[in-house]
Amino acid sequence: MSRRDLPGLLAAVVVASPVLIGAVYSTLAAVGLVGVGAQGFTLERVIDTLTSSETWSGVAWTFATAGAATAVAVAAAFVLAVRVRDRRFGQVMAMLPMAVPHVAAALAALLMFGQSGLLSRLTYALGLTTAPADFQPLVYDRAGVSLVLTFVWKELPYLTLTAMAVLLVDSRELEEVARTLGATARQTFWRVTWPQLWRGTAPAVIAAFAFLVGQYEMPALLAPSNPTALSILIYERAVDPNLLRRGEAHVLGLLALSISGLLVVAHQWWRARAEPGP
Amino acid sequence: MIGARRDGFLLAALGAWVLTPIAVLIVRAFAQSWRFPQILPDATDAWPALSAAGTGRVTSALIASLALALATGLFGTVIGFLIARSAVRVGRRFQQLTLAAAFFTVIAPPIALGVGLQVAVLGIGLGGTFTGVFLAHLVPVTGYLTLFAVGVFASFDLSLEDEARTLGASPWQVLSRIVVPLLGRRLGEGLILGGLVSWGQLAITLLVGGGVVRTLPVELLSMVQSGNDQAGAFAALMLSLPPMFAIGLLTVGARRTGASL
Repeated sequence: MSRRDLPGLLAAVVVASPVLIGAVYSTLAAVGLVGVGAQGFTLERVIDTLTSSETWSGVAWTFATAGAATAVAVAAAFVLAVRVRDRRFGQVMAMLPMAVPHVAAALAALLMFGQSGLLSRLTYALGLTTAPADFQPLVYDRAGVSLVLTFVWKELPYLTLTAMAVLLVDSRELEEVARTLGATARQTFWRVTWPQLWRGTAPAVIAAFAFLVGQYEMPALLAPSNPTALSILIYERAVDPNLLRRGEAHVLGLLALSISGLLVVAHQWWRARAEPGP
Repeated sequence: MIGARRDGFLLAALGAWVLTPIAVLIVRAFAQSWRFPQILPDATDAWPALSAAGTGRVTSALIASLALALATGLFGTVIGFLIARSAVRVGRRFQQLTLAAAFFTVIAPPIALGVGLQVAVLGIGLGGTFTGVFLAHLVPVTGYLTLFAVGVFASFDLSLEDEARTLGASPWQVLSRIVVPLLGRRLGEGLILGGLVSWGQLAITLLVGGGVVRTLPVELLSMVQSGNDQAGAFAALMLSLPPMFAIGLLTVGARRTGASL
């Protein structure tokens, strides 16, 4: 490292320092050295939390809902980017949910998918149900249907705009060349458009998944209490009236940060692979 | 012909998918009552809804959120652009390191960040205060703005600064006469972006603010959890309007200058 690189190193440290400070505090709190309910060094909370089935069922449920939503959002974003990338209406519609904060989107989902929500009223009007209780629960349900749909609604703009940008910048000329050389529409898509699209949007897909894994607002209004989403588990422990349990929030927080850290590594690795070197 | 019809159907489906939840929020906010099994409320009367929900809690929460968004947007823009400027002047390896650090603050779960920051902020005596929440919001805001500013500096000719210095300009003159005028619009966009990131923060505000700092997302969550859907929907609209306006502004600006958003 040369002296010229020092500002760069300093910049990275400045950006990361609040997270690092928080992580250090969390580590100390997790082993009982600082924070509310600290009673001296112990690994008991760490072991208890990391061996608890509640923790891992929460992590698995969080991964499953975030993964399902990301997969659906990616598929929809690709279709939209390929089919309506030149249409102004499509671009505006694709961007609009970005403006609606997550907690507001979650309330809209509650009003639509709840047992007395809009969908339930429509099924009643069609004679498919006779009371709110007849409507299949889509909120607070173990399958997380309304949560996944709301995740998709919120992530679709980011993924669609990324996919549209990739296609507008990278693909158009190549597609035209392929068609000129006699490729069919199907061949052009699978051999030209798809590789560009996938390689260009993969980092955004990882980012979207990572973001959903850490989401708090939407699970707070739409997720079931069993299994408990990781973010909800962290919040519940952080405000638990039993002060001794608050150390568990730090263990879970560190677990969530570690997952994010791994996803950052995956994101950077894929970006480095996709982008040409200097 | 079939392709055009299929695209038309796709656009209609996209419109319905995007607009229905927003329409539901609008109807719920302005309907006095909306009981099962009504698909649409019988009569809508906006004023009682607005006077019940608009006064007091929503208004003071709106002011707190606006103040936080403005402060974090402003400070985040300055810090993010300074960090990015340092990062782009060094080798690719350290630039990547800064980008990874910034990206980490962006995607790290706010609730996990909040748990650590809560202890840190309590340690300096700022737990449950506006300043503490402002400092906590700065963490993700700075991450977003560093990533944004690195992108901005990628197309900025840094040699202009060196030339001005060679011609005898002081650092202040370089900043005020070269850098700020050239980056003016991008700094404005950074301010809006930073404000928007702070605007939607809930988990960090809840943990660091301890329920004392009542921003609009905190108030909205509390209204919905207490079963007050109508006031919650009104707060949700208040929460969504400024980002819609800001995104519209950025889009129009980008179109006028031929830039991509």
